[in-house]
Amino acid sequence: MSTKDRRIRNLKKQLRWYPFLIISLAALVLFVYIPMFNTARYSLYDISIVGAGNETFIGLKNYRTLLGQSRFLRALGNTFALTLMGLVTIPLGFFLAVLINSLGRGRTQAFCRIGFYLPNIITGISVILMFQAVLQGEGGLLNTFLSFLFRRKISIGWISDIRYSKIGATILWCWMNMGYSMLMNLASLQAIPSELYEASEIDGASAWDKVRYITAPLMKNCFTFLLVTGVINGLSRFTDLFVLGSNSSAGLPGGTLQSILMYIYQFSFEVPSHGISSAGSMILFALVFFFTMINVKLTGFLEDEEEVG
Amino acid sequence: MMRAKTIRRLIVIIVLVLLLILILTPLWWAIVLSFDRAATTALPPFSWLPHTPTTFNYKAAQRLINLPRYYLNTLIVTTVNTVVSVFFAMMCGYAFAKGRFPGKKVLYIFMLAVMMVPFESRLVPLYILYRDMGLLNTWWPLILGQFAYVYGVFFARQNIATIPNSIIESVYLDGGGVWRVFFTMVLPLSKPVIATLSILQFIAHWNSYLWPLVAIRDSSKQMISVGVALFNAQQDSIYFGPRMAVAVLSAIPLTIVFLFLQKYIVESIAVSGIKQ
Repeated sequence: MSTKDRRIRNLKKQLRWYPFLIISLAALVLFVYIPMFNTARYSLYDISIVGAGNETFIGLKNYRTLLGQSRFLRALGNTFALTLMGLVTIPLGFFLAVLINSLGRGRTQAFCRIGFYLPNIITGISVILMFQAVLQGEGGLLNTFLSFLFRRKISIGWISDIRYSKIGATILWCWMNMGYSMLMNLASLQAIPSELYEASEIDGASAWDKVRYITAPLMKNCFTFLLVTGVINGLSRFTDLFVLGSNSSAGLPGGTLQSILMYIYQFSFEVPSHGISSAGSMILFALVFFFTMINVKLTGFLEDEEEVG
Repeated sequence: MMRAKTIRRLIVIIVLVLLLILILTPLWWAIVLSFDRAATTALPPFSWLPHTPTTFNYKAAQRLINLPRYYLNTLIVTTVNTVVSVFFAMMCGYAFAKGRFPGKKVLYIFMLAVMMVPFESRLVPLYILYRDMGLLNTWWPLILGQFAYVYGVFFARQNIATIPNSIIESVYLDGGGVWRVFFTMVLPLSKPVIATLSILQFIAHWNSYLWPLVAIRDSSKQMISVGVALFNAQQDSIYFGPRMAVAVLSAIPLTIVFLFLQKYIVESIAVSGIKQ
């Protein structure tokens, strides 16, 4: 066989792999890369509705408008505040996981794992509907519970009073996400070899020593992972706040629950101003990109590409 | 010593059960309200059982919202999306795990880089794209994006890489090609990862909200998440009973699926780290 024949055969062998990829690659170009490029492009133009004519290149003016606009800054601030408050699911999940883990593997543990994870699975719209009743000022479940606890009538408007709305929204967020945090913490706790604890017991370590010198250092990766993914999820928070405000992107009450994404939605579809909303999208993209990069580095998503090479 | 341990375990169990009751009470209360005649046009004070038991709220809900239609729509779209996304993720995963071809590394990074581009930052261009293709208000915008499931590609590649090459060679020796390897070896041997990815995708699509809200206008074509939220926003906010009835009805199927598959779901999420 000549070298030319061999080269052709080799080439044919390589070419048969591309059909496996071609459709997914085409979808990525068409639905991810080109749209992302377009978002960047629109953000530099003065456009109200794309395709309706009147597109003037204005450079970075949309960004300047946004960063000088109190409404956008408020949405940005709301999002950061809600994201930070939402991170309380990490210690709560850790606390639950430690308790559940101490039960030892068995039926009781399996039962608790399902029970505490259950709220996560019905995180549909139904949960948000239920919490509209739970967080009600008059007769809501939370106020009933607090009144019972403190032996006096409490009627806080958890989703209608601007002073408490962020706390109310965080309670909902915790309820929806705590199971996930518990699950990740538990998986991580159970990955710690029990020999470590046994050995430290022989050395006379106290319960606190064990947490301080074994559990905490070995849980660091889990905490960082939950922290970063928690921030990413928090930054693009939308559905629960949108539905809580009766399908409005205004972020009721008084705009205290308008997230960045709700702001973008408002200026994309309710009051179309596509240049502005695209600039907002780019800012959201930059924030998420930053935290995803950290996540990729931490979880090693791209690390084992050596063997791919 | 032994007794102290038993007592401590008992205390932990009691604390956990109390917490569990605290956390699950909202669910229970929603069910109670949905069966309570007193909740039809008001929010009655908390009770463990309905004040006046009735199925009236469900009958009212049935007249106000076409839940079977939403269910059917969501079931069709969710199933199609899950099958499409997982199948194509397996194809890509196989090529990246076992293939030898120029540009493999570059293409792999080209795919995984997408994880850094949040879907939400492409809303307007995607909306414009489908508008210009005349596909708004159809199911196509919900389905077409699913042909590239990047997280799935990552997990599929990782799993397929562990399949021994000797098994694959045996198919080649029988005169089979890469496609026969894919269908007769890779897919059957990847059942666990296919199950994991399917579960994650199914839950994610069932709950997706923003994109159907943007892409679909007709309520007869709408998904259950948006349909229920629109119904909720249109009703007078004091109609707690019917709204809770709809909430309960729309939560039931996924909860049943969860209870049946809980072992696998919990495992899938713990392994992948992906929430939904």
